[in-house]
Amino acid sequence: MNTNYANKNRLKDLTFWQKIYVPEIIKGLSVTMKNMFKPNFTLQYPEEKFIQPDSYRGRPVLVQEENNIERCVACGLCARVCPALAIEVQANETESEKERYPEKFEINMLRCIFCGFCEEVCPEEAIIMSKDYELVFRVREDAIYSKDKLLVPVKDLQDRINYLREFKG
Amino acid sequence: MNDFVFYTVVTLIKLVAFVSVIFLSVAYLVYFERKIAAWAQNRVGPNRVGPLGLLQPFADVLKLTLKEDIVPDAANKTMHTLAPMISIFVAFSTYAVIPVGPDITVFGRTISLSLAPGINIGVLYVLALTSIGVYAITFAGWSSGSKYSLLGGIRSSAQMISYEISMGFSIAGVIMLASSLQMDEIVKSQHGWMWNAIVQPIGFITFVVSSFAETNRLPFDLPEAEPELVGGYHTEYSSMKFAAFFLAEYANMLIASAMIVTLYLGGWQFPYAETFNISPMLLVGLQIGAFVLKMVAVLFFFIWVRWSLPRFRYDQLMDIGWKVMFPLSLINLLWVAIVTMFMK
Amino acid sequence: MPKITIDNKEIDFTQGQTIIQAAEAASIDIPHFCWHSALSVSGNCRVCLVEVEKMPKLVIACSTLATDGMVVSSQSEKTLSARSAVMEFILINHPLDCPICDEAGDCKLQNYTYKHSNGESRFIESKNSKDKRVALGPNVMFDGERCISCSRCIRFCDEIVGEKQLTFVKRGDRVTISTFPGKELDNDYSMNVIDICPVGALTSRDFRFTSRVWEMSSTKSICSGCSKGCNIDVWVRNNQILRLTPRQNDAVNNFWMCDEGRLNTFKHINADTRINGPQVRRDGALSKVTWDEAFSAAASELKAFSKDEIGFVGSPQATNEDNFLFSKFVKSNFGIKNLTFFKHIIPGTADSLLQKEDKSPNSFGAELAGIKPSKDGYDFASLLSAINSHKIKALYILEDSNILEIPEIESYLSKLDLLIVHSVNSSVLTQRANIVFPAASYAEKNGTWINCDGIIQRIRPAVTTQEIDRSLDGFSMSRLDKFGTEYDRWNQTAKVDARPSWKILCGLMTVFGQKQKFSIVEEVFSEMSNTIPSLNGIDYSSIGDLGIKVSLKSPIPATIEGKH
Repeated sequence: MNTNYANKNRLKDLTFWQKIYVPEIIKGLSVTMKNMFKPNFTLQYPEEKFIQPDSYRGRPVLVQEENNIERCVACGLCARVCPALAIEVQANETESEKERYPEKFEINMLRCIFCGFCEEVCPEEAIIMSKDYELVFRVREDAIYSKDKLLVPVKDLQDRINYLREFKG
Repeated sequence: MNDFVFYTVVTLIKLVAFVSVIFLSVAYLVYFERKIAAWAQNRVGPNRVGPLGLLQPFADVLKLTLKEDIVPDAANKTMHTLAPMISIFVAFSTYAVIPVGPDITVFGRTISLSLAPGINIGVLYVLALTSIGVYAITFAGWSSGSKYSLLGGIRSSAQMISYEISMGFSIAGVIMLASSLQMDEIVKSQHGWMWNAIVQPIGFITFVVSSFAETNRLPFDLPEAEPELVGGYHTEYSSMKFAAFFLAEYANMLIASAMIVTLYLGGWQFPYAETFNISPMLLVGLQIGAFVLKMVAVLFFFIWVRWSLPRFRYDQLMDIGWKVMFPLSLINLLWVAIVTMFMK
Repeated sequence: MPKITIDNKEIDFTQGQTIIQAAEAASIDIPHFCWHSALSVSGNCRVCLVEVEKMPKLVIACSTLATDGMVVSSQSEKTLSARSAVMEFILINHPLDCPICDEAGDCKLQNYTYKHSNGESRFIESKNSKDKRVALGPNVMFDGERCISCSRCIRFCDEIVGEKQLTFVKRGDRVTISTFPGKELDNDYSMNVIDICPVGALTSRDFRFTSRVWEMSSTKSICSGCSKGCNIDVWVRNNQILRLTPRQNDAVNNFWMCDEGRLNTFKHINADTRINGPQVRRDGALSKVTWDEAFSAAASELKAFSKDEIGFVGSPQATNEDNFLFSKFVKSNFGIKNLTFFKHIIPGTADSLLQKEDKSPNSFGAELAGIKPSKDGYDFASLLSAINSHKIKALYILEDSNILEIPEIESYLSKLDLLIVHSVNSSVLTQRANIVFPAASYAEKNGTWINCDGIIQRIRPAVTTQEIDRSLDGFSMSRLDKFGTEYDRWNQTAKVDARPSWKILCGLMTVFGQKQKFSIVEEVFSEMSNTIPSLNGIDYSSIGDLGIKVSLKSPIPATIEGKH
C-alpha cells in the first residue's frame, strides 16, 4: 500500500466542471445514496456483543498465579509509566521467595486511559490488559479498583499473554 | 347556515388540521433526519423507543419539556424570551397560503385547500414572513449576551439578506410566467409537464440553493456552525425555548419544500390527471397525494444533502450568494422573459 | 604545576593525585564502583580502566598516579570496549531483580549498565546463589547475590568509623561479605554503608520497600539531631517523610551522618501526637480555638502577671528567625531579665567523627539571636529554682522538646500559674500548658540554624501544613505532586494546622499593638542580619545549599547549661 501521502499534490486549479459544483455535488450525493443500501455495522449492544481480538485493550488486571498469590512484585514501574497517574502501589515485604509484594495496588478507573503502557513496562508479566470493557460506577469511590477486583486467575488471561509473547516479546 | 359561520367553522377545522399535521410532520421529520443520517452512515438510527423507534420524537419532546429553562445573567430577558416566539410564529403563519390541493365542493360551497385562500399576494406574504424570521435569529443572538450567539446571529442575518435577493429574483421568473402572485394561480399555470423546474431550470436551482440558505440547512448552516460557534444563535437556549427554535427550523424546512413544490414542481397537480376520467373525489385525493409525495421527495432531498455535503466557509457562502446566485437569477429572469415573449 | 591531558583536555594537578582524582577535579567523569573519594583505594572493580599513552596495557585510573605530561583517554575505543567487558563480567552473577531491589532508580550499577555496557551477556550458565536477606546489624540488611564485592562498606567501617566489623569471606565467585564472628554491624554510623553501596546489596531495614526513589521528592535540609548540623536530604512522598539521607558538605559532615540522626529525627513529624490547631485551657481541659482567640487569650493571660514574674524560654531547636522575633517580643514588652534557654548537653556522647554532646541544632544561633538574660536576670538553672520558690509564676516556652529531659520537670511545671508553649508534638509540657500554639516542625518551614562550628545553614520546608502549599511555596516536588490535582488521593493526606513560631509571634505581637511587617521569613532574617553584627551582609542566597561561616565579632560567652 502506498502510504506516501506527502507527495500527493493538492489540485489547486479546479476544472470547469468542478468549479460549477453541481456534478461534484451529485457525485457526493450518490456516495451517500449508495451507502443507504449497504448493510449496517451496528451491533445492538446489550443483546449483541462483539468478540474482542487478543490485541484488545480492556481494563488492566493483575495476574493471579495458581497458588492464589499475585505475580506482581510492586516494583512501581506501572505507576511510574502511567501517563494518567491512575495506578498507586504500596510495596511491603513478604516471607515468600519473591521478597516483595504489593500491599496495596489500586487503579483509579476514572483516570485510566487504557493505553497499555503498564502492561508493556511490566517486567514480571503481572499486569495485563483484559478484555473487560464494561465499567460502570455509581459513586467515585467504586471506580478505584483495589486488589480484590484487579486479581484475575492466570488461566483466564492466557490468550492475551500468548499474544504478548508472540508479538511484543 | 350562512356563509360566515360556515367558513369560520371550516377555517377552524383547517387550522386545527394544519397545525396538528405540521407538528406531527416536524416530529417525524426529526425522526427521519436521524434515520436517514443513520442509513447514509451504515447505522440503524433510533430504534429503542417504541416499535422501530417511532416514539422517539415524543421522548425527545418530553425530555426537552422536563429540562431546566436557563436564562443567562448577561441576557436581555425580554428579547431572549421573545426571539423563539417570533421564530415559531413566523414558521407557522407562513403555511396559511400554501395550497395542498385543488378547490373542492362540499355542501354546494367551494372550499379551498389552503388556510387563507385567494390571497392575491401569496408569494409576497411568504417572502415577507420569512424576512421577519431573520429577526428571531438576530434577536436570539444579540440578546443572549454570548459571543457565539452574537456571531451566529450576525452571520444569519447577513446570510438571509444575501440569499433573499436571489430568491426574490428566482420567484420573479415564476410570477412572470404565471402572471399572478396568487399561489393557486401559480400552481395552475404549471399544468401537465409545464413545471417551472423544467421550464426555467436555472431559476429552480437558484431557488433551491437559496431555500437551503434561508432555512440554515447544511451546507449553509453557518449560523449554528458547531465547530466554530458551539450552537450559534441558540447556544444560550435550553428547554422549550430551544425546542421552539428547533421546531421552527424544521417547520421552515417544511415551508421551503412546500414552496419548492408549489412554485416549481407543479404544486398539487398530478400531470394530466384531469384526463384520467376518474371520480372528482378520487381526483382530489390523487392530487393531495401528489402534493404530499412531492413534498416528501423534496424533504428527503433536504436531509440527503445535509448528510452528504460539508459546510461552506463564510467567504465562500457570500461569494456564492452575490457572485453566482444573484447573476444566475438575473439570467433566469432574462430567459423567462424570452420564453414568455415567444409563448404569448 | 604539573599537567596531565585527559580526553584532550589539559589539567593542572598536584603531585600525588591519581588520574581519577585529577579527572574529578576537572569534572571529567571516569566510571568507578569501588573508588570513593573519602576512602582508600582498593582497585578491585576494574571499571575505571583508561588508556594511557606509552603504556602497554590499560591502567586503572583510581590507583595510577598522575605524572607530568601523561596523556589519558577515557573515551578511546579500547577503553570503551574494556569497560563494556568489565560491565559484562560484573553482571555475570548479578541477579536481574531490579523490580524488587530498593536501589533501583538510584543504582550505580544500573546507571552504568545503561551508559557503559552493550547490554548483552554471553553467560549462559546459571548464576551463583548466595545468602539473601541477611541482617548484618540492627539497621542494615544484606543481599549476597547483588553484591559486586567492591569492599566500600568494609573500608568505611575500618577507615572512617574505625571499628572492624565487616570482612570478605570465601574466595573466587563465592566471595561474600560477613561480619566477624560474634560481631554485628552496629556502629553509630552503620547506615552510611547503604549510601555508599553502589548496588542494592545493603539496604536499610527501616526504609526497606517503603517507596521507590522516583516517587519521592527530596529537599535539602539540616539534621536536627545535634549541634553538628549534618547536611541531609529529606525524602517525602504523599506529604510524609519516609527517610533522611546525608548530603555531601565537606565543611560539615563530608558524606556521612549518624544512625541516630537518620532514624530518630523525623518520625515525630508524621506522628499522631502532632498538635493540630491552637488550644486554650478552659474549665481544666484544653480545647481547640481559632488562632485569633488563642492570641488574645495569651495576651490577656500574660498581662495578668508583673514583668518579673514571667520567665521566657527560647529554644535551641527553633530557627534563628524564631528566636530573634521571640527576643524582640520579650524585650519590647517585658524586658530581657528572664529571657533564657535550655542547652541540652549529654556528656560523653560526642565522638571524633560527627556526634556532639549538645543535642540541639541551634544553641549557637539562639544565643546570637538574643536569647540571653540581662546580668541581674535568671539563667536557666536559676530560673528553675525561681519557679520552685514561686518567684516566677508564669512561663512562656518556645518550641523545645528537650526540656522534657530535665529530671522532675513536672514538679516544676505544676508550680506554675501560667504556661504557654509553642510545640510540635503533644507531651507532658503541652498537657500542663494553659495555651498551646502548634508549631511547624523543621521540615515544614524555612529558616536558618547555626551549628557548633558557627556555620549558618538553611532548612527548607518539605512537608505541607494547612497554611502552605507545595507548588506555590516553591517546595521540591515529585511527579505525583506536579501532575496530580488536589482531588487526588495522594493529596488528601491530613495536613496539620501549625505555623512556624515567627509567624505565631507576629500574630501575638499584633495583639500587643506591635504589628510586624513581615510576610515571609526572609524579611525576618534581613532585619536580623541588619541588627546583629555577626550576620551583617548575609542573606538566604549567600547561605545557599552548603551554608557559610558566621564571622564572630564577639566570642560566644560560656554557655548556660542545664542541670543535666
